[in-house]
Amino acid sequence: MNIQLKNIIKNWIPNESKVIDFGCGDGSLLEDLIDQKGVCGYGVEIDHSKIQECIIKGISVIEKDIDEGIQDFESSNFDVAIMASSIQCLKEPHIALRKMLNLSKQCIVTLPNLGFWKCRLDLASGKMPVTPNLPSSWYETKNLHLCTIKDFEKLCESEGFSINERFFLNDKGNKSILSSNIPNTFASEGVYLLAKK
Amino acid sequence: MKINCNLVKFDEGLDLESGARLDSFELMTETYGELDEDKSNAILICHAFSGNHHAAGASEHSEEAGWWHNIVGPGKAVDTDKYFVVCSNNLGGCAGSSGPLSINPISQAPYGKDFPSVSVVDWVNSQKLLSNYLGIKKWHMVLGGSLGGMQALQWSISYPESLNKAGIFAAAAKSSTQNIAMNEVGREAIRKDKNFMNGDYLLHDIKPRSGLKTARMLGHITYSSEAIMDQKFGRNFQDIKSKIDRDVDYQVENYLQYKGEKFSDIFDANSYILMTKAMDGYDASFATNGDLEKVLSRVKAKLLVIGFDSDWLYPPQRSKEIQLAAMNVGVACSCVILEGKQGHDSFLFASNRYVDILKGFIES
Repeated sequence: MNIQLKNIIKNWIPNESKVIDFGCGDGSLLEDLIDQKGVCGYGVEIDHSKIQECIIKGISVIEKDIDEGIQDFESSNFDVAIMASSIQCLKEPHIALRKMLNLSKQCIVTLPNLGFWKCRLDLASGKMPVTPNLPSSWYETKNLHLCTIKDFEKLCESEGFSINERFFLNDKGNKSILSSNIPNTFASEGVYLLAKK
Repeated sequence: MKINCNLVKFDEGLDLESGARLDSFELMTETYGELDEDKSNAILICHAFSGNHHAAGASEHSEEAGWWHNIVGPGKAVDTDKYFVVCSNNLGGCAGSSGPLSINPISQAPYGKDFPSVSVVDWVNSQKLLSNYLGIKKWHMVLGGSLGGMQALQWSISYPESLNKAGIFAAAAKSSTQNIAMNEVGREAIRKDKNFMNGDYLLHDIKPRSGLKTARMLGHITYSSEAIMDQKFGRNFQDIKSKIDRDVDYQVENYLQYKGEKFSDIFDANSYILMTKAMDGYDASFATNGDLEKVLSRVKAKLLVIGFDSDWLYPPQRSKEIQLAAMNVGVACSCVILEGKQGHDSFLFASNRYVDILKGFIES
């Protein structure tokens, strides 16, 4: 995760809040949030080597397939649920978002934008897009449900999620004028703070 | 590895959960490795139902390697080169600590069936006195599998300030109805053995060996899994020369006969009943009317909960329940469900991932 994105997420997390990070990877985001914001944090991960890294860092990690397990945590009352770069890998992203907002007041989602101009160029030249944000070839990718910024915001509207804040980053990971103003074409990644309406 | 085996006497006695009191008691204790100057590298291991204080390598006191030698030893997951590891035989056991085989100071005869009922909470209280004796204010970690895991959990509840970490493996926050049912079959086999004599067999210098054997045979089935039994024995016939009993046909029968026989040589029947009763009676949330979250809210230790996928005695769901209740009240808790062919006994075996996770957690 690049520093810019990490900082955006950090700024959205209240001090000493209770946080769950779905697809927490090696736990480095949670480690920062625990050190710098004093959060009570839990990670959910399925990859064995990443779970091991979390354990070594002293991060509380739960081995679970996000596709099957989000609702198990409904009784936990989190302040913030994070799903960074994973939503497009789930079997039913819209249902996952609903479930996340059932167990948490707010939810932070980051997703790659398929409408990014480099993706469009790849598609126009007859190839599946491969960009820094979508690095895998079509046969290796874990992404099942890619969408554009426009698609995602339409989903939020139809599901009744309010977008409390959002940022759009270019493929260098920066908030540029172009990526912020014409995100569907110039943002490589969207970062959202969602809540129930 | 430096191994010490001591019988530690506690003249202060112990008030038991049942209301009874032991005016004094002894714990047979084994230690491995060396305690740091600041006494911060101590790890307490709690044993399962039929375990004892001999957890790790062979020693002058016992030629056999201990019950957790796969996990505990120099360079192993619980590294005795770095940590001072302590394990004691539970109160009420039959491997040297005060129990039904000990002499009752009042009657000057063995306690037998009159040894007072003990509980997981009593064990933890007795182990706390042991830590005071050893001068250990705070354990780096308390861990165990099965009934030992229950003790580790109870440590984090009873003495939240006295441990940094707890490892709860193949365990549960309370015994299930099925656990109680299985234990009752074992106890019934013992009680109905004509040599049990209503628990007074020691006075007649006999032993209810057949009952103990049957109880252990059932126990071994519950500790195992369908897959590992199939893999180890299949439907293979036992060859005639090595049959323990002429009624035996299959290898699995011979194995259970052998294990049961061996167990009935070394284990005490009153102790069997006492220990299984303690296991059945355990419910971490008893004092909070079944509210596990409420009782866990006082926990300060970081928890590591591990379940094994083939364990049907304390299935993975029991581990997940502890994890969820801990998370709901903001207690640091990791939970993984590991592959382990050996059923409930999987916690005894050192699979690569189990070792990595345990080592990583201890050293984090």
